[in-house]
Amino acid sequence: MEYVSPFDPRVAQPVHPAPRPRGLAGHTIVLLDIRKARGDEFLDRLAELLHERGAATVRMAKETFSKPASGEVVAAVPLHGDLAVEALAD
Amino acid sequence: MVPGLTFALPAVDGPDVRLSDAVGDGPAVLVFVHADCPTSLLALRRLPAETPLPLVVIAQDSLPDAARLARRARVRARVLVDAPPYAVSRAWDVTTVPTAVLVEQSGIPGTRVEGWDRYALAALLGVPLADEPPSHKPGCGSRWTYDQHAGGLDELEDMFERGWSDGLPVVPPTPERVEAMLGGRDPGRTLGAVPPVGGEATLERVAACAVLAGCRPEHFPLVAAAVEAALDPAFNVHGINVTTQPAAPIVIVNGPARERAGLNSGMGALGPGTRGNATVGRALRLCLSLTGGAVPGGLDRSTLGHPGKVGLCIAENEEASPWPPLHVERGFAADASTVTVLACDAPLSVSDHRSRSPGELAFVLARAAEATWSPFWWPMDDDSLFVVCPEHAALFAAAGWDKPRLRREIFDAAVRPAGELRRGETTPRVHESPDDEPIHKWTDPERILIICAGGEAGRYSAVLGPCDGMGTRPVTREVRWSM
Repeated sequence: MEYVSPFDPRVAQPVHPAPRPRGLAGHTIVLLDIRKARGDEFLDRLAELLHERGAATVRMAKETFSKPASGEVVAAVPLHGDLAVEALAD
Repeated sequence: MVPGLTFALPAVDGPDVRLSDAVGDGPAVLVFVHADCPTSLLALRRLPAETPLPLVVIAQDSLPDAARLARRARVRARVLVDAPPYAVSRAWDVTTVPTAVLVEQSGIPGTRVEGWDRYALAALLGVPLADEPPSHKPGCGSRWTYDQHAGGLDELEDMFERGWSDGLPVVPPTPERVEAMLGGRDPGRTLGAVPPVGGEATLERVAACAVLAGCRPEHFPLVAAAVEAALDPAFNVHGINVTTQPAAPIVIVNGPARERAGLNSGMGALGPGTRGNATVGRALRLCLSLTGGAVPGGLDRSTLGHPGKVGLCIAENEEASPWPPLHVERGFAADASTVTVLACDAPLSVSDHRSRSPGELAFVLARAAEATWSPFWWPMDDDSLFVVCPEHAALFAAAGWDKPRLRREIFDAAVRPAGELRRGETTPRVHESPDDEPIHKWTDPERILIICAGGEAGRYSAVLGPCDGMGTRPVTREVRWSM
């Protein structure tokens, strides 16, 4: 049977995660706070653990948790680090 | 490799995997499963994390369903996706799931075990399996065999297979039905990109969603206007589509469109029973979840959701209302037809058959609203909707209260000293204020929307709490019968 799809085929492809790093030492990791409640506490603790493993961290933040990050923030993340961790939820 | 048996399938956690990758280091075992099969789930849960031969799970599911299955069963092996029409399962002649197939490094299939057979699987894998009943359990039909055994394509089941549903049966969007829904409108015209994935809401796709939802062509202009309103940046549909909150968009219809589309604004106005109400809200939700990619449990991260997320559409009972309707309050002509979209929680019914003064009734409505969103989160900065039933509205009107007065009175009644609000989830404003500082439930009376709807007997109104913290605002669009 032929049907009219409600999906836009241009966005149907699954997005795969990037390859995982083999280690953390020597990497600079952007810790992106999306500004959800207590996300900063999570990232504070994560930064401690990453520092213990030899990584450097850079803190950045989205403008608001409820909307996608601006183009400026998205573009700036790879300029400040080679890995990124986002604190997603409260 | 054996021609016809090779594959490259997407994995739930990474790039595509080829059969040659799976057997790259030696023989492997392919385990075919699907998410609706209890025996598959049992097998996945009982297969050990470490086996002498590597396991590769092939799920006859969509990518999100396969990922969910892998999480539920705590699968440690790679999980690949054999989506409809299940070409790999068909090529491997897998008629039952689970089926485990030993594959040599050359790609030649060997021993296979169908269903859950603890002893046979232990022998195949070369590792003992936990001694717990049942030791045998028959498998389920492989997905690609469904059509054959049903004697032909079951269109309704096909819609579920494709994921074109909200969990309820849908009307298949054949080209003929979609064309009828479009009514000569330009199918390529786009209303915008629907977050979070950014699928373009062309009129053709919106019409497909309207068909799926069960709309008739006279409902389509309302659906298109609702989609257009939801895509206004002020509504922030991105946040609403992906939030852990339960919020759903409600579509409020005003003006002549109510009658033209056969909507119910009277008895049971928030409930079932009328095709237009049931399908217009559903069509909007299908567009957001399918075209926009906000599938519940996928990118729609709602912790609980609520029943209105299937679809929520109400018409204001302008005939029974003593007040100007919502669209007139929002600057439209009285004879205009409009839809207003608002993100909200489930309706909280407020029964009050005893209040005899407007102040008392306003206090009751305000007290009910105090519990919405979170009982100690004061003030809220997103919009709440009060659906005032005709008998309650008549009581207010008899005392000379118009909508602005009622809005103000509800706002003034929902106020507490900060000292009473320092529990659990509360706001920085409450934390920073002295104990006796009065805090209102809303930041402004304008955050209160009021419509009149429902049957003319019975004193039940309702309040629908906001999608708070999303920075969302209600958006109204005129319904255009030709576009």
